[in-house]
Order: sequence, then structure tokens, then C-alpha cells
Amino acid sequence: MAKAYPDVLLDLARENPAVCAVSVDCGGHISGVAREFPDRAIEVGIAEQNAVGIAAGLALCGKVPFVHGMVPFITMRCFEQIRTDAAYQHLSVKIVGAYSGGLEQGPWGCTHHGVEDVALMRLIPGMTVVMPADAWETEQAMHAIAAADGPAYIQIRGGALPLAGERTFQLGKASVLREGRDVAILTYGPLVGEALRAAEILAAEGVEARVLNVHTVKPLDREAVLAAAAETRGLITLEEHTVVGGLGSAVAEVLAERPVAPLRRLGLQDVFATRTASRGDLLRTYGMAAEDAVKAARELLALDPK
Amino acid sequence: MAEDIDALRERARRIRVQVIQMAGVSDTHAGGSLSLAEITAALYFRVLRWDPARPDWPDRDRVVLSKGHCVPAFYAAFAEAGVLGKDEPLEHLATDSRLPGHANRKTPGIDATTGSLGHGLSMAVGMALAARMDGRPWRTFVVLGDGEVQEGSCWEAAMAAAHYRLDSLVAIVDRNHYQAPGHIDTERVMAIEPLAAKWESFGWAACTVDGHDLPALVAALEALPFAPGKPSALVADTVKGKGVSFLEDAHAHYSRLNEAQTQAALKELGE
Repeated sequence: MAKAYPDVLLDLARENPAVCAVSVDCGGHISGVAREFPDRAIEVGIAEQNAVGIAAGLALCGKVPFVHGMVPFITMRCFEQIRTDAAYQHLSVKIVGAYSGGLEQGPWGCTHHGVEDVALMRLIPGMTVVMPADAWETEQAMHAIAAADGPAYIQIRGGALPLAGERTFQLGKASVLREGRDVAILTYGPLVGEALRAAEILAAEGVEARVLNVHTVKPLDREAVLAAAAETRGLITLEEHTVVGGLGSAVAEVLAERPVAPLRRLGLQDVFATRTASRGDLLRTYGMAAEDAVKAARELLALDPK
Repeated sequence: MAEDIDALRERARRIRVQVIQMAGVSDTHAGGSLSLAEITAALYFRVLRWDPARPDWPDRDRVVLSKGHCVPAFYAAFAEAGVLGKDEPLEHLATDSRLPGHANRKTPGIDATTGSLGHGLSMAVGMALAARMDGRPWRTFVVLGDGEVQEGSCWEAAMAAAHYRLDSLVAIVDRNHYQAPGHIDTERVMAIEPLAAKWESFGWAACTVDGHDLPALVAALEALPFAPGKPSALVADTVKGKGVSFLEDAHAHYSRLNEAQTQAALKELGE
């Protein structure tokens, strides 16, 4: 049973007196720290720019602040503070997309879809970008980014991932959740579950799909990408994010420099998810479900071999 | 460094001289640096607890120059204090120098990298919170431009500073009345008055002084905090380009002076 997020943050605060918590109206997430170390829990109200600026000031004085806000707002409203105040000064400011990640807020509309965060954060030099798949991986990732020097972004989604089995976590290293030499599905976050389901469907057709959990999108595990390209007949990226600038782009950048295998990028195809629908419906509508990965795999395998 | 008023006047004059020398060799935000001369002199040679021999002393008072483009005034003060080499300000904007066009932590003495307006006050709030967390006595000063407070982020930070009762935090607004377009008063670009009342309505204790009147400036800065439990805002009424007649007349924002202009300006400054 994975720890609840507020307890994970409290553990970090207990281990390191420099760790502190900043909240953009996300009081629940920092409640553990607020209870035990009230001076180290800063609520700023609904003010993302101020939250990140304050965090930069704290970090300039040796603190390690974790800033919590909703994914679309904590990555877009204050993008410049993240880029300029935190990253340009290479400060240990950790941005936490606390909720409203991906299409989680489905029918509430595109204002609340967090589908550009990876692209934006990946753009910033020195930024670590981690997209855990569930609560277990979140806990591992939180400890890893707390220990790492410099700025980081993490999107937390919670839950418990089915099918994932025994896992290990190492920052910057993709984990192989399933071996396979026909196609490779590269994914992160809660869509890891969809990728594993796609692999099961493909296995029933006699196709062995490798499933890579690329939880750290930056720095990207280039070796894992190149190995998948060399050892399979095609790659599929699957992400709950726009294909512009996300994992699909990151993998395409690697393959563009060393093209060895065809690639299909699944994600929002440079569109807003404008249907009023649940997350599940949106994933199916916009091509991010297991069946879409299966279809892409069939297409890759139908291509002429090199 | 607790220098008397006459010594501070000479520091302010020397700061202006160096700003002009910088404007003679590189593009420089001279107008807004010249308006800052007395404020800078009062801070670094009288009010701040700092040690030029140890610019990274952990218990120093922090200074965030939020109007980071006016860093030439600080470079001049740092050269005066010996933090930088005597002639080092002339390396402003020079390739691979320690003195870029906006305040940057690569320069000894600079506590926060700035340049994008509207960022400094939030960082200063974070610094003041850090001092409180650690139970340290140092204070945080932030220097803002008047046009800068048109950025909404300033007021997010102002709200938070009052909410957290940060009376170790001081905002100084260089109220020089002009922003980039030197021919339009700030009140006509986007009105910011009543400025002191705005700070007060956000929960700060505010006062207004003549930003070139060193006895008044020093008296205000030695009366900090203006009210216990509240952050302090000092609106320093100043003249853009102060001390050089043709820069005052132009409300000059960007300046690159030719040799004749440089010599004329230096002459006005008593060089």
C-alpha cells in the first residue's frame, strides 16, 4: 500500500530541514508539513506567479521548496517564473502538478486539462521532468527529486497501477515493464496501464510488444529509446499530452538523429480535447487508449521491413 | 559601513560618475540608474548590514534589485566598496565580463538574478520567510521601479508579505515618473497613483520621501520597520536622469553617450 502524498512530503521534511512546502490553494497536499512544521508550510492563495517567486527566494536562502498547484496553472501561468527565477538561477525549486493532470478533469473542459506541462517543462534547461504512473512511483520520484540538485517538475496522479508487477525506479532510466521484440510502446503516467493492456491484446495476436515506462521524460533515457529502435520493428509513444513537445517529440528528436525504426506518436494531435466527456471517453476519442496503440502496432508491423 | 551624510553625498556623486562612464562605453539604462544614486548610496554605505569583504556572508541583509536593468548603479556602488575592481564597471556588457546588462548572481554582491519586471518582490518575500524559518536577524530590501508595479505579480507578492506580517521586508519604489517611452509620464501610460495608499491598502506601512534627499532617505531607512508586524514600503520620489541636465530633460531610459556627451555629463557631475 503506497503512502498518501501528504505523508510522503512530510517524510521529506522530516529527513531534510531545508525542505518546505508552498501551496497554491492546495492545502491538503501540504497538510502533513503544515501540521508538524507550520513555519515551513506557506499557503499563497490563488497566485501561481507569487508561489514560484517565493519558492525561488526560499531556495536562494538554501531551502528546498516544493510548490503545489493545479497542472495547467502551475506550469503555464507562472512559466516565466519557473524558467527565469528557478531554472536560470539553477535553484532547487520543485514544481508539483498536484492535480488536474492530463485529461483527469475530462468534462470540466480544456481550461482544466493539463496536457502541455511536459512540453513546457522539458523546454527549460536543467529541468528534471518526472511523470510517475501511480502513488508508489510518486513516492520514489519525490525522494529522487528532493535529493537531486536543481529544479524539477513532477505531475502526481495517485492511484495504483494494475498489471505493472514488480517495479524498480531510477531517475533518468526508463523501466522495462514488459519485454518484446516486435514493437515497443513508450509511455508514462497513468497511460502505462493502457500500454500494458495493449501489449496483452497484441500478445493474443502473437505480437510481442515491449512496454517502456519512461517516467523521467527529461533527462530522457536515450539508450532505452535507441535499444528499442534497434531491437524492434517500430516504436509507439503513448501519452496523455499533446504530441507537440512531449514524449513523442523527445523520442522523435532522438530518432531523427539516428533513424533506425519508424515511429508513431499517440497523444493529442495538436488539438484541444473539446468534447464534453469523461477522461476515458476523451482518451478513446483522441486516440490514447490501448486499442489505439494496438492499431499503431499493426500498422508498424505491416510496413516493409528495412 | 555607517557613513555620514556628506560622505554619502560624495558616494552618490561617484555612483553617477561611474554610471555616465558606463554609458560612455556601452548601452546603459542610465536614467533609471541615475535616479537610484542616493538610494543605492544610502543602502550600501549606511543602512545595510553587510560586509564588502564577504559579499556572501550568510547573515547579510539581502537586496533584490527588481528593476534589474538599473544595475549600473549597483556596479558603481560595488566598485566604490571594493567588491568589484575600481575600473571594473567599465566592463558592463563586455564579452565574458561579470557585469551583464541585468542584475545577475554571477556578480559578487548581487543576491538575486533579475531583469524581467515583476519578479523581485516575490523572491524577496521568499527570502524574508526563509530568515523567519531559520530565526535569523537579517532583513530583505527590494528595489522596484515605478512602472514595474504595473505588473500584477507585484501585488500578489504585496498581499502575501502583509499576510505573513513580514516586517523584516522593505520595498523601495524608485518613483522616477517615466518608463521606457521617455516622452510619456507613467501616469499617462498606466496610472499607478495613489501609490503609497495602494501599499497601505495591501496591509503595508508606507511613506513617501524625496529620493534625492539623503537626510530624509536615511531617516526613513533607519526608522524601519515603519510599523511592527507590517512590511514597509518607501516611495522614493526621484527624477529620471538626475544630475545630468540633458538626461533629465529627455527622461532618458536607454543611453549610449558619445564622447562629447560623456564629457559634458561628467563636467556637470563635478569631474
